[in-house]
Amino acid sequence: MTKARRTIIFSLVIGLMGLAVMAAAQEEDLGMVSAALAPRAEGLIIARCSVCHSADLIAQQRLPRARWGATVEKMKHWGAEISADEADLLVRYLSARYHPGAPDHLPPLDHELGKAEPLTQEPEASGPLVGVATRGADIFAHNCQACHGAGAIGGMGPKLVKNPILKHEDLFWETVLHGRGPMPAWGSALSQQDIADIHAWLLTR
Amino acid sequence: MNDEGESGIISRRSWLNRLLCGLGASLIVNHRPSQAHAAEEEFASRETGPLIVRVTRPFDAETPVREFTSFLTPNHRFFVRSHFGPPPQEAVSEANWKLRVGGLVERSREFSLKDLRQMETVTITAVVQCSGNGRAFHCPKVPGVQWERGAVGNAQWTGVRLRDVLAQAGVRGDAHHVQFQGADRPVVDSVPLFVRSIPLEKALHTDTILAYEMNGRPLPLLHGAPLRAITPGWMADSCIKWLTNIIVREDEAKGYYMQTAYRVPAKPVEPGAPASGPSTPVEVMPVKSLLAAPQEGETVKLGPVTIQGVAWSGEGKVVKVEVSFDEGKTWESARLVGEDHLYAWRQWQFVWKAKTAGIFTLLCRATDAHGDVQPSTSPWNPSGFLWNGWDRVTVTVTA
Repeated sequence: MTKARRTIIFSLVIGLMGLAVMAAAQEEDLGMVSAALAPRAEGLIIARCSVCHSADLIAQQRLPRARWGATVEKMKHWGAEISADEADLLVRYLSARYHPGAPDHLPPLDHELGKAEPLTQEPEASGPLVGVATRGADIFAHNCQACHGAGAIGGMGPKLVKNPILKHEDLFWETVLHGRGPMPAWGSALSQQDIADIHAWLLTR
Repeated sequence: MNDEGESGIISRRSWLNRLLCGLGASLIVNHRPSQAHAAEEEFASRETGPLIVRVTRPFDAETPVREFTSFLTPNHRFFVRSHFGPPPQEAVSEANWKLRVGGLVERSREFSLKDLRQMETVTITAVVQCSGNGRAFHCPKVPGVQWERGAVGNAQWTGVRLRDVLAQAGVRGDAHHVQFQGADRPVVDSVPLFVRSIPLEKALHTDTILAYEMNGRPLPLLHGAPLRAITPGWMADSCIKWLTNIIVREDEAKGYYMQTAYRVPAKPVEPGAPASGPSTPVEVMPVKSLLAAPQEGETVKLGPVTIQGVAWSGEGKVVKVEVSFDEGKTWESARLVGEDHLYAWRQWQFVWKAKTAGIFTLLCRATDAHGDVQPSTSPWNPSGFLWNGWDRVTVTVTA
């Protein structure tokens, strides 16, 4: 009886140790995945999620992959501008960094958000950028309209039609690329061509 | 042997769940606190520090529990929660704001703030608590703002009875629910509006009010200016802020925040199970107590230590608060003190004669007039609502 009980306790302890080792190994793998995906995913979070809520809401969650998938799907349904590829990347990243076993206080991300990788790779520069207004209207609708209103007439963010900043192109670029006040940085979400197109379109308004 | 039915499988699975949660906790304990953690602790140790911010935008923040040594929670220390943040100030200014009452009524009515102030005034002291207060303690973790202990407060609410407002419009016989909508709006139009309803019986209750004052001051913008619903004894998801529209209806309000969110399974579910099956709206607050002093991590001297806190229950008064120093094996009764109102919280005290130095975990639990006792942990539910597990504080006693 006592021997049997000892055997049970022994195998329980071994089992627990095994689980702990497995959990630690899994933790390492997930850490690698989240570090690799972080530059693009963090850029996406700023561009697609923080339009409606700050990123701290995301960072406090600890969810299994299925629930992250359901959450991203719900946000798409509610109007987040997330493509299928972006959703896939986000779910992989979020479930690797913010999984149920992750500690409450995660070490900070290695990179600075300002250095987040551009979502669209730039072609080699070949002469000055020329904005195309017709393209800009569409890019604005998908990225800027939520805050600056339809037709750029203002909303939670300022009105951009006839806004003096349009005449100071350097300030306009600085603001879009790096953010200002409550506006997030868009440098990782929009290509240089996208920004030039938006600027061109705003000038026609 | 065929007697290992569903229940056998479920209990084994829940055992594994508990084991994994325990493992997670031990990993956390072993983890060296990051700089962010240290900063947060420093933040929390200030005497009358600011709220603990959970979400920067829209702003969600909870009150440090040390504030709960006072009966009323001051307005600027009161927890803040909304789905979209406050509407623009001008939308709720006295000049622009109107309350519209319509739906299944004899005559639709509009009220200005002045109209409401001319009606009979009622003041009620009541606990307002976020349905998700304590969500962070559910295991396995669930999505949502990870509130810990302080998404709750006790304030004096002054306004008019909802039934008096409804009487002026004349509620029709086929009405069963009263829907609320505020002036707050999502950033993107495709996000559902925050619309909820309460059953007519609760709406017509003599203590259900529309408040324009909080602790004797005009309702602050973050707390719903100029008017919010107060449903005493019920969770705050019914206490709609920035109220502009009341619609009397036959059925419950439609939409995400009534039909999907703010609901709990009608029958207990296995921890970790996805939301499915019949559910009921979050309404009455379960019995709960909090330990406000000493604070978590505090060092106290050998000798008498006054332990104090608050306790409340949605329906029925708190009749007993107990403390335990041995993980709930034995309990000792605390003394109920201070003001005693039906919907307010009750303050309590216990003089602890700390006789040996060391690290002690203090627990508290409350019992209400119905005999409901605060459990060690609350039933798990997919959205982490209604947490009322024993409150827990660890202190160090030094010679």
